[in-house]
Amino acid sequence: MEIHLSHFNTIYFSAKMSLPLTLLSGLSYMGILIESLSILIISLLFFMLIFLYNKSINEKQHEKWRLIAGLLIRKAVFHDNEDNPDATVPLTARAESLMHNRHFRQLVTEELITTKKSLAGMASENLKHLYQQLQLDKYALTNLKSPQWYVKAKAIQELTLMELKDVLPKLYRYTNNKNELVRMEAQSATVQFYGFEGLRFLNVITYPISEWQQIKLLQQLSQAAPVDVSIDTWLRSKNSSVAVFALKLARSYHWFQWHDTILACLEHPEANVRLQAIDCLCEIYTDKTAAILKSRFWQEELEIQLAIVKALRSIGTEDDAPFLVSLLAYDNNEMKIYAARAVTHISKNGLELIGISASASGYPLNEILAQIKGELAV
Amino acid sequence: MKILIAEDDQVILMLLEFRLKKDGHEVIVTHDGREALEKIDEFQPDIVITDIMMPYVSGLEIIGAVKSKYPDKMRVIILSGMGQENVVLEAFQLGADDFITKPFSPNEVSVRVRRFDTGRK
Repeated sequence: MEIHLSHFNTIYFSAKMSLPLTLLSGLSYMGILIESLSILIISLLFFMLIFLYNKSINEKQHEKWRLIAGLLIRKAVFHDNEDNPDATVPLTARAESLMHNRHFRQLVTEELITTKKSLAGMASENLKHLYQQLQLDKYALTNLKSPQWYVKAKAIQELTLMELKDVLPKLYRYTNNKNELVRMEAQSATVQFYGFEGLRFLNVITYPISEWQQIKLLQQLSQAAPVDVSIDTWLRSKNSSVAVFALKLARSYHWFQWHDTILACLEHPEANVRLQAIDCLCEIYTDKTAAILKSRFWQEELEIQLAIVKALRSIGTEDDAPFLVSLLAYDNNEMKIYAARAVTHISKNGLELIGISASASGYPLNEILAQIKGELAV
Repeated sequence: MKILIAEDDQVILMLLEFRLKKDGHEVIVTHDGREALEKIDEFQPDIVITDIMMPYVSGLEIIGAVKSKYPDKMRVIILSGMGQENVVLEAFQLGADDFITKPFSPNEVSVRVRRFDTGRK
């Protein structure tokens, strides 16, 4: 095949022509890209400006609304209705029209609740009346039916904070709601309104009461007048968290009348109930309690055994010393320490008894003895 | 009397201002601790009513500042929430003259302030 110069020329001129064309087409693609990006950026900037403008308008409106709500609250707080308790707080036309706006209503509700938490006496009562006058309670009751749990929980909290005791029958059924936070709010509400008598939901609930909720309820009850309630059903409840809570109540309020039922809890299938029962018995015990605990010792797992030894330290007598000394030979160092501490606490010869065992067995009892001596010296 | 209130809750501030003005006092309002310290130096009030928990400077710091600069000139009343007993004790150790626990009645504030007024007379 002959290669002619003309071929090279053709190739050369083709390349020379196609190169600018390629460059041109490349540049036009770049141009389109840059143009598209510019449009996108300008659009974004435009939307951002619109957004910021709307935000600024909303903030200004919010500030005005806050002022209106504040003035309304002030009128309510200082409203003198001694002569006519049914007298309502006068509303301006603007406030009245704004009450149809959901966002304004939300703002007013929040301000009312925040202020009510800080005020007491007639001022607080007036705020409650304002809440009802503005029919905010009706909106809250509607929210109770919401499918969203957080709306329900907020509604329950709101009605509780505004102290609307009349709505309690509607709140009661939420004490066993499948959502934990809804349950917590409803349970707190019943206790808030009725104190110990409000605990009757414990008769029926199937869901567990969390540790945190138990603490909250105990704290609420500490503000209420103590009343003797029957905890028998609760101690026997299939819901172990109810039994645990009832044991905590018995311990806190020293309900000695339930001692025998509490003893029965030592046979409960759940370990946490048995643990709580032992803890309770440290406060509610008779001269037979220590013997009963010792009789259960060898049937139990380590954690419960340790709890029993700890309890014996509080309620044991000199008669229990031999049992505790025998535990110094237990094949667990934690048990040895617990037993040693208990012995020194209940027996005036405690240290001697440990010393005898230590000299017979050596380590670790000799170390434990030194430790106990150090603790006693402090 | 000239009373300065330091409280970050807008509505409570408004309520206290209204009540104390109704009693005939001159009232200066501030929304945080920093502003309160500035206005205390500027206006030299007779009584300072301050919340404990506030932005920038707390009520306790305000008590300390007031009692070190104006030990006999100004009274300090603190507003404290429930469960802040240890804070109340600390406030008294710093020199606070009275405390009001939330929730409170505006009438209670009025009476406690009047006590200092009759004391002055």
